[in-house]
Amino acid sequence: MRSWSKVDIGDVAQVWRRNRDVYRRLWRTEIIAPMLEPLFSIMGFGWGVGSLVAGKVMGVSYLTFVGAGLLTFTSLLRALFECTYAAYFRMVYQSTYDAILATPVEVESLALGEMTWGVTKSLIDGLIVLGVLWAFGAVLSPWALLIPFIIVIGAFWVAALSLWITAMIHDINYYNFYLGSVFSYLWFSGAYFPLDSLPAWAGWLAWMVPVTSVIDALRSLMMGHLTPLLLLEMGYVLVAFVLTAEVAMRALRRRMIN
Amino acid sequence: MARLAIEAGEIRKDYGTLTAVDRLSFTVEAGEAFGLLGPNGAGKSTIMRAICCRSPLTSGSLKVMGLDVACHQRSIREVVGVVPQENNLDPDLNVRENLLVYARYFRLPREVAEERTERLIAFVELEEKRNARIDELSGGMKRRLMIARALLNNPSMLILDEPTTGLDPHVRLAIWDKLRNLRQQGLTILLSTHYMDEAEKLCDRLMIIDHGHILVSGRPRDLIEAHAKRFVLEVRGCQSQPLRTHELGVIAEQHGASHLYFAPTAEQLAPLIGEYEGCETWLRPSNLEDVFMRLTDRGRLT
Repeated sequence: MRSWSKVDIGDVAQVWRRNRDVYRRLWRTEIIAPMLEPLFSIMGFGWGVGSLVAGKVMGVSYLTFVGAGLLTFTSLLRALFECTYAAYFRMVYQSTYDAILATPVEVESLALGEMTWGVTKSLIDGLIVLGVLWAFGAVLSPWALLIPFIIVIGAFWVAALSLWITAMIHDINYYNFYLGSVFSYLWFSGAYFPLDSLPAWAGWLAWMVPVTSVIDALRSLMMGHLTPLLLLEMGYVLVAFVLTAEVAMRALRRRMIN
Repeated sequence: MARLAIEAGEIRKDYGTLTAVDRLSFTVEAGEAFGLLGPNGAGKSTIMRAICCRSPLTSGSLKVMGLDVACHQRSIREVVGVVPQENNLDPDLNVRENLLVYARYFRLPREVAEERTERLIAFVELEEKRNARIDELSGGMKRRLMIARALLNNPSMLILDEPTTGLDPHVRLAIWDKLRNLRQQGLTILLSTHYMDEAEKLCDRLMIIDHGHILVSGRPRDLIEAHAKRFVLEVRGCQSQPLRTHELGVIAEQHGASHLYFAPTAEQLAPLIGEYEGCETWLRPSNLEDVFMRLTDRGRLT
């Protein structure tokens, strides 16, 4: 945890504020465009696919079931894009990292600031999608009020993983491998259908990815089915984040200080 | 304040098998303007990166404002202002915001940041552009804004990597003016440049490096006297003629298609002009460029 010990929360906040200030200038394009896609997918799943799935999935309507997956993916992808393409632009094309590293801010605080900003965007989008799901009647329990916390923890892991990749690559096209893996994983994540429909080995592989835990935890809160498993899942995601962030911070230090 | 702004002892930097800086020692006094000169790849940028704590040394000791770069990186960056070779202004923010946001990285209180932002925008004469986007600025304006940004933390030393490369002569003069002004206010200035006139006009002392070694260092005037005498006769377009190496007290050198003769007085060089009938000859006081070419080009172009 060498890198974590170098983090200065005050500096993290300054890096976060820089991104927030830019976001405030561009919020119309930043909010409206990314919201159209989930809105249509929820309508599609609610009215389209949902009407074809006659029975209930895990005891709830298909929209509630798949809503948890859509909410997770829509929101976590925001952290992914923020800590891949957007971060890469700031690091390589705009040299924003170089400018920041000429000030007292250390690489580790810069990295965590970038991750925190990615998480913030995930949270904003997550809240909007959650609102849409609620309006469609897919949210069945007041425990859903805890969903933002789950999104934040999950987004932190995704942000750390994405920034790690950003610190490692020297060509923006390498993100295609990452995105390809993410969208392949989507089908094995339990977002669209229950994991027990998969062969056991595929199920275990899926559970190794922390996002699977996020989807499951989020779904149980939407449905109000609370079990101790929820805490285990969140613990797993949290530990994954702490370790991945350490690796990401080290990689970014190697990249920037050499 | 430390008497020495920079104290480099036997600093060395390896990148794999390449040695970019090889056991190099020098000092920069507080309040002086110091120039770092050398061909591309000589090690200038590596030295500057080391001073800015962006590049850990392989060996040697380096102190900036009396603080060791190995363990006081944060404190060093608090008292140093950096203008890198490439402008890295924030294109997502306007002129004023660029300064205000940057001030936050130094944790300046809001009122102080506002006050300094206004003062620095006035200092670099960008008042009319204070709300302009960065891509609306000319190259010279961007450079001036970079200098303003580097001054936000009231640094004791300003580090400039090729401050006027790619700018037109008027803009260069304007920037030199600002830098001289800062130097008079007591700021230590460390700059790297490829322009010998820039180094000659701005620097109290300078060093020329190549292949990670110091070739010479000293005051520009002294270096010119020691390495390029005082006068030079330049002859162009004389490939077919032999170099006259027999004149007493005259140094003769060939650089590409030109012959160069250096001597302490113009009288010693005047007779040579007659020997080059039909060639373009030019008798002039020698300058830093001659020193640079003599020291870094020998064996490369002849």
